[in-house]
Amino acid sequence: MKKKKPIKKKPVFPPMSLSLEGTQGSKTGTWRYLTPAYLNKLAPCNEACPAGEDVEAAMVLSGQEDYIGAWEKITQENPLPRVCGRVCFHPCEVSCNRKEFDEPTAINALERFVGDQAFHSGKRYPPPQEKKKEKVAIIGSGPAGLSCAYHLASMGYGVTLFEALPKLGGMLRYGIPSYRLPKEVLDQEIDNILSLGIEAQTNVRVGKGLKWEALKKFDSVFVAAGAWKSLPLKVPGEESKGVLSGLAFLQKVNSGETFNLGQRVAVIGGGNTAMDAARAALRLGAKPLVIYRRTKEEMPAWEEEISEAEEEQIEFIFLSSPIKILTENGEVKGIECIKNLLGPPGKDGRGEPRPIENTNFTLAVDSIISAIGEAPDLSFLPHELQKAKDSIPVDETGATALKKIFAGGDIVTQPRTVSYAIGAGKKAALAIDATLGGKNVAEALRLARWGEKGSLSMARYKSGGSDGMAQEVVPFAELNTAYFKPQRRKAKEKLDVAQRAGDFSEVAAGLSPASALEEAKRCFNCGVCNLCHNCFTFCPDLAISARPDKQGYAINYDYCKGCCICVEECPRGAISVEVKK
Amino acid sequence: MNAKELLNEYLHSGHGCCPGCAMPIVLRNVFHSLGENTIVVITAGCFGTISGAFPTSPLKLASYNTPFASAGAAASGVRAALDIQGNTTTTVLAVAGDGGTFDIGIQALSAAAERNDDFIYLCYDNEAYMNTGIQRSSATPWGAWTTTTPPSNLKNQPKKDIVQIMAAHRIPYVATVSIAYPEDFIRKIEKAKSTRGFKFIYAFSPCPVGWRFSSELTIRLARLAVQTKLFPLYEVENGEQYILNEEPEGVPVNDYLRLQGRFGFLREGDVERIQKNVDEEWQRLMTRMIARVA
Amino acid sequence: MRKLLTGNSAVSYGVMLSRAEVISAYPITPQTTIVEELSEICSDGRLKAKFIRVESEHSAMACVAAASAAGARVFTATSSHGLAYMHEMLHWTSGTRLPVVMVNANRAIGSPWSIWCDQGDSLSQRDTGWVQLYCQSAQEALDTVIQAYRIAEEVLLPVMVLEDGFFLSHTSEPVEVPDQKAVDRFLPPYRPRYKLTPGDPHTFNIMADTSLFINFKHGAQKAMVEAKKVIARVDREFKSRFGRGYGLMEKVRCADAEVILLTMGTAASTAREVIDQYRKQGKKAGLCRLRMFRPFPAGEVVRLLSGVKKIAVLDRDNSLGAGGIVAQELKAALFGAAHKPKVFEFIAGLGGKDITPETIREIMEVTWNNAHPKGEPVWIGVQS
Repeated sequence: MKKKKPIKKKPVFPPMSLSLEGTQGSKTGTWRYLTPAYLNKLAPCNEACPAGEDVEAAMVLSGQEDYIGAWEKITQENPLPRVCGRVCFHPCEVSCNRKEFDEPTAINALERFVGDQAFHSGKRYPPPQEKKKEKVAIIGSGPAGLSCAYHLASMGYGVTLFEALPKLGGMLRYGIPSYRLPKEVLDQEIDNILSLGIEAQTNVRVGKGLKWEALKKFDSVFVAAGAWKSLPLKVPGEESKGVLSGLAFLQKVNSGETFNLGQRVAVIGGGNTAMDAARAALRLGAKPLVIYRRTKEEMPAWEEEISEAEEEQIEFIFLSSPIKILTENGEVKGIECIKNLLGPPGKDGRGEPRPIENTNFTLAVDSIISAIGEAPDLSFLPHELQKAKDSIPVDETGATALKKIFAGGDIVTQPRTVSYAIGAGKKAALAIDATLGGKNVAEALRLARWGEKGSLSMARYKSGGSDGMAQEVVPFAELNTAYFKPQRRKAKEKLDVAQRAGDFSEVAAGLSPASALEEAKRCFNCGVCNLCHNCFTFCPDLAISARPDKQGYAINYDYCKGCCICVEECPRGAISVEVKK
Repeated sequence: MNAKELLNEYLHSGHGCCPGCAMPIVLRNVFHSLGENTIVVITAGCFGTISGAFPTSPLKLASYNTPFASAGAAASGVRAALDIQGNTTTTVLAVAGDGGTFDIGIQALSAAAERNDDFIYLCYDNEAYMNTGIQRSSATPWGAWTTTTPPSNLKNQPKKDIVQIMAAHRIPYVATVSIAYPEDFIRKIEKAKSTRGFKFIYAFSPCPVGWRFSSELTIRLARLAVQTKLFPLYEVENGEQYILNEEPEGVPVNDYLRLQGRFGFLREGDVERIQKNVDEEWQRLMTRMIARVA
Repeated sequence: MRKLLTGNSAVSYGVMLSRAEVISAYPITPQTTIVEELSEICSDGRLKAKFIRVESEHSAMACVAAASAAGARVFTATSSHGLAYMHEMLHWTSGTRLPVVMVNANRAIGSPWSIWCDQGDSLSQRDTGWVQLYCQSAQEALDTVIQAYRIAEEVLLPVMVLEDGFFLSHTSEPVEVPDQKAVDRFLPPYRPRYKLTPGDPHTFNIMADTSLFINFKHGAQKAMVEAKKVIARVDREFKSRFGRGYGLMEKVRCADAEVILLTMGTAASTAREVIDQYRKQGKKAGLCRLRMFRPFPAGEVVRLLSGVKKIAVLDRDNSLGAGGIVAQELKAALFGAAHKPKVFEFIAGLGGKDITPETIREIMEVTWNNAHPKGEPVWIGVQS
């Protein structure tokens, strides 16, 4: 047998300088002094949403045509998207980063579209996964009460809604007219919420028909009775027939009552109630005349309300205040007003109106609707809760002076809007859940905060604040708009003015599916990685790769030199720089 | 996720390029399209010298370093060797910087183009001899600072128009590419790959160290160069058919210049002069365009 | 098959028989007919090879070196200025350990311009790491080209085959052209261990840092030392197959010589006659034609010269300030020898100046008649 030759090992040194391996042994990460890191952040729309919706996520999913997914995102936080998509004042759009680029994304219209789509495709709220033994009473079935009921029922609690008026909905039904929020839509939304197993008792007024003590059998109570007392004009003749408060007027209109307002009706006030009253009056056949003590710029009503009213040719008289109501035979005949000038700005930044001597003028009107503000009626509450004059004092968790009794919505001092009320209802639900669960309520709510403007997130509450997203909001300056093309937003389609004046049909049309998709794609998806691939594409050191779960990217810090191209080229500011290594 | 995640990489991490260097981004785009069946010929320049040292190489492709002036010749040799061994499918890619293309290497480049040898010549232009410490080349733009064009004597000649020079050789395909336009980039490499004969790809390669800008702005500058019309994206087929790929609205050239320290010594009126020159060059180029294709 | 061939034609045959696969060369007098003939041979299919018509010699060497790295057997040819132009590439090719074979027609490098024979061009490239083999006849040139491939591919160093410009490149002689099949048996196809292979990612000529560069040079040095044995062995094998061998050096009547003339190239064939004449006169003259200049056959030279009184070195070149290059190498080789003959240095034949029998005689006379060499080399043929 031949002796086996020893196997010649490949020489370590080839004769020529030939590479034998890659450069992976050189850990160029040691070069770094700036470290980029993926950090999902809040989009400004998220922080701005008083109802605490993950607006950004809903927009992303809508842009992928996953409207059901978007609906699930929204309704995890807000059970009334079809309502908000019609009546919300959309602070999300005001804070939308896209507005610095061309025009804000039409989030409000998209919320409506998503809600309507989901409903028409049969989506309903699923029954709660667990049942808790505790029971909660909610006073008031307006947006705050409905929101609280929804969240508590979803968490498994037994919920009873007490509503003083014949139907549920509060301001949504009795304040907002059908041309803004069709009753059918409202009914559908409410039924959807009730399908979680909530008990609702209408025509029950706590303090009158139902004693406060009767609520003691509940483990917790949420007071959300709203602000239904109209502020008086405080002018002579206010008690006459033909003078009614805006809220009372709207309540009757929204209950289906007809009216004879005569030919001309003066509407006093500049807020949404005044606009609603004026436009409702128009549809009832009268000619409304809005009298407001400041100028158009200071009107608290939504811009859209004002412009729609103007389109409907409703007359406005500015810088005027009523001083006397004129009657004849006990019936309203006219209104005497005085002109104002605006003095220096007051607490809220608006000039204080001051009457100008000898500028009185009289207008002939057949009825007068006064809508100069509302306040809550606190008389039904136990005296411990009646400390303040116009609201129930609560701490930062919404808790009142009485144990396990919470309050929120218009009955508490806060901006009086549907979305804030919805947010307040959710906050109460979280506070009640934390309280009944023996948790530190303030801490639980702190972890659930959604931005720094006071909104809370149910998703965050459930995850204990561990969704990996920072609290900071992405400003426009951190975006890279090179990746977006200017594109105007879809204008809301509305009924012709001629058609509008006739009845209470819904004025605003929803977006078509094609328009909705196009519009949703306009969203920049601020702050949250949407797998656009830029960072991966542009990394000179190949230090970025897709994560194994394909839900994002990972930076290999062994090689990242900290050039920060990824930070710069992330269109949505989802990558941040840490200065320390 | 889209199909891009399936792209293979042929460059290793751990290479020695400066943070924010455009050149590895250029190469990644090129290699995505060319794939594994490629032999790369590299000449002296940033890529050749700072990428790695024995026994390591940043390339996952068979490759060969050749001295400075010889990229065109060496690539021709590799092509001939492959052809004679019956291999006509492997792509040969020569990679050179502006030095190895515009200046010391232009002779061999011109010869290879004239012979219409079948390979792709990629020039990554960082507009100076960067590897040796930012000395001026004929690709340095007018008015730029370099270590051999100090503030008292800024580059006073216009940038050599290498694309026109190559087009004049009537080679099958010339194209300009920018890393800020990756789809366009990759499309052109694929087109070059499937074209027989000599192909010249001219890549704009911003250099944070030599141009004096903060490293995260590399892509932004590559985009601005196109948007200001300073670096037009176009193709020339057979020296005659000029095809414009991107028609920007036209951003003022100062938006591009002011981000770079090397233009920090421009005197009064210089920016206007540069803008005028950009506009005139664009107009001249547009008279040749026969088509616009995205 | 016997043919009447010039040196250049013989080289072309050698290249054809060696089945070179990629050829790239730039014409320069007096190499031009090699380029022309090979161009024709490739075009008409006698040789299956790619011929690349480059634009300069630097590119020619860059081209064939890269082609060699890609696994092809390559060839190029040049002369004087062309060789100088590719100087950088000569280092590169050697450092990359590529088995490139090049024929250089020895010609003077200007200034002044000269197209004629001078060995200064290749000798001044002696530090570039190429094997250098100097031929005397067209037959030897053809045979040496074939041998060069064997040598190069075994030691992995490039080989330069030298022929005197015009004197060898353009003169004709009867040449035995070997049979292709016989050459194929002697020289199998080129199968490199290290080559550019798509899918096998290695980079050639990666930078070697301060700690490692020396390793590669040491490796090349060892290969160059080994090359001497390989050159001798290959020549022996060639001789056994084809009947012709040349050795590392050709020794003519050196066994008992008192004075040996050492030179390279065609001057040796002229010298041969003169040496014979001296022998007829009873003078113990001998001739050594150095064939292998790199690696320098130091040991062989020392052995050759042991017991020899005087050696006359005829350099067809000059290193300004230092003297003839062959003489320098010879003296360096003799430095440690037990016996050192007196070394008489001569410079002649620069720029194509004819080396005649008179020139040789003059050299021998000076050497015979002087006990010691002058301090400086003697220049023959300088007109006053």
